[in-house]
Amino acid sequence: MALSLHFQQLFHSPTTFPSQPKPPTTLLTTLKLPPTPSLPLLAIAQNASLSNIDKVVLPLQLKREMMPKHVAVIMDGNRRWAKMRGFPVALGYEAGIRAVRKLIELCGNWGIGVLTLFAFSSDNWLRPKVEVDLLMGLFERVLEDELEKFARAGIRISIIGDTSMLHKSLQELIDKAVKTTKENSQLHVVIAVNYSGQYDVVQACQTIAQKVKDGIIEPEDISSFLVEQELQTNCTDFPCPDLLIRTSGELRLSNFLLWQLAYAELFFSHSHWPDFGEAEFLEALCSFQQRQRRYGSQGS
Amino acid sequence: MDLGNEVQKILSWTSVCGNLALHLIWLIVHLIINVWYSALGIARVVENTLISSGLLKSYNAINISKVRYLAVVIDSEEARQTSKVLELLRWLASIGVLKKSQTAIIEGLNKSQKATASKIKSQEAIVEGSNHGTLVEHVDLEFVSFADSKPAVAKAANLLFAKHYASTILEKPNFTESDISEALQAVGYGGPEPDLLLVYGPVRCHLGFPAWRIRYTEIVHIGPLKSMKFGSLIKAIHKFTKVHQNYG
Repeated sequence: MALSLHFQQLFHSPTTFPSQPKPPTTLLTTLKLPPTPSLPLLAIAQNASLSNIDKVVLPLQLKREMMPKHVAVIMDGNRRWAKMRGFPVALGYEAGIRAVRKLIELCGNWGIGVLTLFAFSSDNWLRPKVEVDLLMGLFERVLEDELEKFARAGIRISIIGDTSMLHKSLQELIDKAVKTTKENSQLHVVIAVNYSGQYDVVQACQTIAQKVKDGIIEPEDISSFLVEQELQTNCTDFPCPDLLIRTSGELRLSNFLLWQLAYAELFFSHSHWPDFGEAEFLEALCSFQQRQRRYGSQGS
Repeated sequence: MDLGNEVQKILSWTSVCGNLALHLIWLIVHLIINVWYSALGIARVVENTLISSGLLKSYNAINISKVRYLAVVIDSEEARQTSKVLELLRWLASIGVLKKSQTAIIEGLNKSQKATASKIKSQEAIVEGSNHGTLVEHVDLEFVSFADSKPAVAKAANLLFAKHYASTILEKPNFTESDISEALQAVGYGGPEPDLLLVYGPVRCHLGFPAWRIRYTEIVHIGPLKSMKFGSLIKAIHKFTKVHQNYG
């Protein structure tokens, strides 16, 4: 109960919608949204092991022993959400950030070990420059604003993807976030930025080839297990998601964690990402818990 | 004393009535939910029947050319139902998926099922040829298994090492996606990326289908093979033909 309250209060901290995100963009000018109510922050969270599922209070519909350890999310539909309401695209992304905060809170409350978020695909560079700059600016602002809270909540941040193409200031912020939260173990949030599932496999093969050349491993040792060890998701104890959630009704992986999702339950939600809340997450978890998973073998 | 007894009786009676009322409300809510889901089930059956019989005109003219490569994943337990598997293949052939330079990629079959499926494919091809008096166009049926997925990438990695790192050239090459694709082709595990992947089984999961090939593949979970319906198949393909992809 204490853990549940802690996450709830931490994520209702004051956050006002700025009139203009950085770097400068032509999309947002004078729009102002009502600020979220502020609540006092709690003291620094105690570090606990990732297996804190026994301590948390779950909704009645969920079975404790069948909770997924790793949930991955493709956060689709921010632009469509904004378009449906006649808002600019930027507001859609801002609303999406709220949904991210809510999901992190829920994962922390319900004892999920790892949460991977598909924030920016390597194919997204094809979008208009204004939109890409907006997304990068938003990411940098949110990371900067929330880092302290993540650190106190015992959340560990990791980034997967090619960060070398990002702005220098964002790269430095990412390094700082990863280092600051490295020892935390309440919840591991992995953010995929400039990530490509195919390229993840490519760089794993490259790394293995180099290791063989350096004499660290033998050519005969190259196996699918070794490839898996070199994927970017090796930063976490549970690299393969149990459950993938994609919002907005699209039924595909879009080059996300291609290797790691071999036996993941695929849940395609019809709601757009900003509308994905506790009820939708509960529905996804219930759907996950109802399936009989065989991981390719024949069932008992 | 009498007043106290009376009050107690009234309270007890109220409590019993209250419990009964709550129980009744609970039963009514359950009934409404059951009726709703039964109605949904009936609607689904009716829709499938209408689609199968061709009465729903919107499903009659499917732009099948949009499905250049179709993949089917069958759960290992479900794949034991050979007759159902072969019926599925016949349905795909009747829709026109197994015609005209299209490829069907199937995961989950054992050896004897693959052999029978290949025979069906060639029989269908011969029938087509004799009906129309023309040569049958090339039809591809590809069978994949788990070996085509992760172990294949390991073999490709081995090949890339041998090709780029085992030589005396000191400069470190940078592998790209096309290098992996070519290596997979060279080790015999290359293949097209399916446009649509149909999953037959209890779990909504692609069961280890070659990961390299499903970057932008539309994944549709049909359900258990034993309760497959022709209408569901048509509906899934029809829905796919209406999808718009941004590719980033």
